[in-house]
Amino acid sequence: MSAFVILFSSALFSFGIHKLSILKSLGMTALAVAGVLAVLGYTTPLNGFSSSSAIQLFEVMVFIVLGAVILSEDENINITQSLFIAAASVLVLESATLLTFVISFEALSIISFILVSNIKDATQAEGAVKMFISGAIATGLIVLGLTLYALEGHSLNEAVNIKAGIFGTLGLWVMLMGLFYKLTIVPMHSWAADSYAQVRPSHAAILSGVAKTVVVIATFYIFSPFILENLSFNTPILVVLSVATMTLGNVLALFQKKIGKILSYSSIAHAGYMLLAFAAVQSSYASTGLLYIAIAYIFMQTALFLLLDKLSNGASDMTLEDFKGLADKDKFSALFFTIQLFSLAGIPLLAGFISKAVLVYAVVDADMTIVALIALLNSALSVAYYAWIIKHIYFDEANRKNKIASVQKMPLIAQTVLLAGTLYFGVFAYSVFSVTL
Amino acid sequence: MSYLLLIFLPIVLSLLVYFITRNTGSAKYMALGFFVVMLIHSTYLYTQLPESGYMLLGSFLNIKAFDFELVLQVDRLSVIMLLLTSILLILVALSSWTVKKQAAYFSLLIFFSGAIFGVFMSTNFMWFFIFWELTLIPMYFLVGIWGAEGRVYAAVKFFLYTHVASMFILLAFFLIYKQSGTFDMTLIKDAVLVTPALIWWLLFVGFAVKMPLFPFHTWLPDAHVQAPAPVSVLLAGVLLKMGAYAMIRMVILMLPLQAQKYAWVILVLGLLSLLYAGFMALYETHVKKMVAYSSISHMGLVAIAISAISFDSLSAGLYEMIGHAFIISPLFLIAGFLHHKTGSWQMGDMGGIMQKAPYISAIFVLAGLGALGLPATMGFIGEITILISAIETYGTWLIIILLGSMLSAAYLIWTFRRVIYGEMSELVMKTDFTMSKPEFISLVIFAIFIVLFGIYPQPLFDMINQTFSAYTSIGGAL
Repeated sequence: MSAFVILFSSALFSFGIHKLSILKSLGMTALAVAGVLAVLGYTTPLNGFSSSSAIQLFEVMVFIVLGAVILSEDENINITQSLFIAAASVLVLESATLLTFVISFEALSIISFILVSNIKDATQAEGAVKMFISGAIATGLIVLGLTLYALEGHSLNEAVNIKAGIFGTLGLWVMLMGLFYKLTIVPMHSWAADSYAQVRPSHAAILSGVAKTVVVIATFYIFSPFILENLSFNTPILVVLSVATMTLGNVLALFQKKIGKILSYSSIAHAGYMLLAFAAVQSSYASTGLLYIAIAYIFMQTALFLLLDKLSNGASDMTLEDFKGLADKDKFSALFFTIQLFSLAGIPLLAGFISKAVLVYAVVDADMTIVALIALLNSALSVAYYAWIIKHIYFDEANRKNKIASVQKMPLIAQTVLLAGTLYFGVFAYSVFSVTL
Repeated sequence: MSYLLLIFLPIVLSLLVYFITRNTGSAKYMALGFFVVMLIHSTYLYTQLPESGYMLLGSFLNIKAFDFELVLQVDRLSVIMLLLTSILLILVALSSWTVKKQAAYFSLLIFFSGAIFGVFMSTNFMWFFIFWELTLIPMYFLVGIWGAEGRVYAAVKFFLYTHVASMFILLAFFLIYKQSGTFDMTLIKDAVLVTPALIWWLLFVGFAVKMPLFPFHTWLPDAHVQAPAPVSVLLAGVLLKMGAYAMIRMVILMLPLQAQKYAWVILVLGLLSLLYAGFMALYETHVKKMVAYSSISHMGLVAIAISAISFDSLSAGLYEMIGHAFIISPLFLIAGFLHHKTGSWQMGDMGGIMQKAPYISAIFVLAGLGALGLPATMGFIGEITILISAIETYGTWLIIILLGSMLSAAYLIWTFRRVIYGEMSELVMKTDFTMSKPEFISLVIFAIFIVLFGIYPQPLFDMINQTFSAYTSIGGAL
């Protein structure tokens, strides 16, 4: 028995009962059981998978967040999809060899393609196609890298060989680039800016909230020994990519009018922060920092996109104008949205602050003070667009008939769960510091 | 534990207060109650303080790996700030008695009170920073929702500007931790650090924005002018004092060697603030902007006192901080009140208010005279002690501080002439200047403080002197 088995079988089983209303409870139960199994330390019973206390903690967070997604979802097909995503996430997180990592990563990608293909209008179709094409390119890069690496004579069925030769190193870097494509690192970010904003927001919640953090954690787990081996070559590249990503993401977010687009660019900027952990890998705080920001991010980003989905009734064209006077119309939604935005902006007592603080401290610890300053200033500047959204919510009055849908009870409960995560990890940092990757 | 509640209870309950009092209008009583409890607590803390050093109130949430521990400790300096803050909060609550959307407004005030207590009570850098940043949130909403015409611009600018500055502070804290292995501010001295100069500069810039010193002051005129009058009081009386408090505690007392080395920077910026803001105030015809610049000018005086780094000058600086809070607050309140009633900010539109509202005008004149340093007000004691102690350190040339006093005399007396006395303008003629009782009471209390501690500053100096004699006895900077 393991979390993967439970989730995968309940996902398959859910096809059989997809017309029944008990599907929601089945999904929640499966996630809960999977969470318990993960905590008890049951790993996927296959070769090439292993787990650690950090992975277990993160798996539980993924399950909680996906539980919230299911709770606020009213289409049964999306519940099935969430279960599949959960199962694939477990595989990605627990994979310990290159082969299992690539296969589970592809499984996660394919499931997310199917997820976004559930479209409502032409914009969402465009977003889905963009996502599919970019995914194909990323896969191509990853397979190319894998081939180069394998041709040098390394076994794929074990952890990365850090003493790889020229071709092996090149292969690993090409693979990393393929993964960075998926992680929306500049200059491979532009697909995400569009497709996160164009697909249905609840799908974007899973993609940018869950899938991205899962992949970033697994990538770090697989590749950090390789990066650590040749710091003088790897660190400068990673620093440049990271700084470019966060800066471009934050600057472009300033000019957006659509909420979805702002969140997409903010997601790109956060990918840049997360990449800092790769650059600062020699610090012992890097892994904690990355785990922390992944946990914080999975709560904040998922919550925001989910709520956006409810407020826009599944459409992806919500603008700042529409948000005017939200506070007067829907006090709770406005409050949830605001607190999660503050967390993204790195305001204290919320998870977004401590996670970023630990991450930036890892950078300081790795003797890159200037990079740390750039990251901090980036984070401070990002307040501009978060505060700007909040300005529309609280300071403006609704000046025309804006198309805000009312949020039902269940999604609000889901939001409360996600907010609890953001608040808990904003104060009780102990739970993250006590685990190790 | 009870002290932990003093910080977190307001933060957590503020939301609850909002939802309970949304339809009843009792939020203001709750807020007032909260603040009175806080004042009682601070007074109690003051009586419990040891002769010197810190008093530990408890430590929570310890994380060994990152030294991320909420340590609550107070010494005399922090308790004086707590007392000042809670008195100001009570007076702010009174002067906000008739504000609109009361439930939200007072919930934010309550939230703010928790965060600000956290700033003065925590001695762990990380938690200090957390509370430091947390104060921005209620301020952002208070300025952005209840402010005047340009409120949105002012709120966003204030938030961004001070948040960016805080990043320098955070980086300095990280460097300290990297080099010393602790976030405990009571254990840090120059000697344990590898790059104390870099850290000093980062901290100095961060706190200079909050204080604010020229040329980092540009957020202040916007925020102060656009904020509702009671919030301007909070900004001037509490937020600016946060900057000065951190400046004394971290930039001077924590890094004494660097402070000695770079004191001239603080001195020069202090002098520039004093004179530049003075001239700006002279030039302004916008009544609240004039007060805002006068506020910057007086914080310049505080900076000069801090830069002189002696027992006398720090005491004088702390006295002036308190004096500034009591003097500038009624000026802000009355300027806001005049705008609220007449709808105009311009001095040219006013005139002859003395004839319509004699009591309010009298308090305005009294506070103005305090600001220009008339003997028998707090302003005089503050300025004369700063002048003497600065001359002790730097020599007679610092007599140029008096130029600042002359400037403030010029712009204030001219303002009296244009706003309070003179011929009654048409606008004033048709305006009704009645003020609600609680608002008026808070003004009267401010006036009493100004005169009381102006004539009899001894009790205040007893408190303040003990603060810094404690530092002398433990071999600090002095």
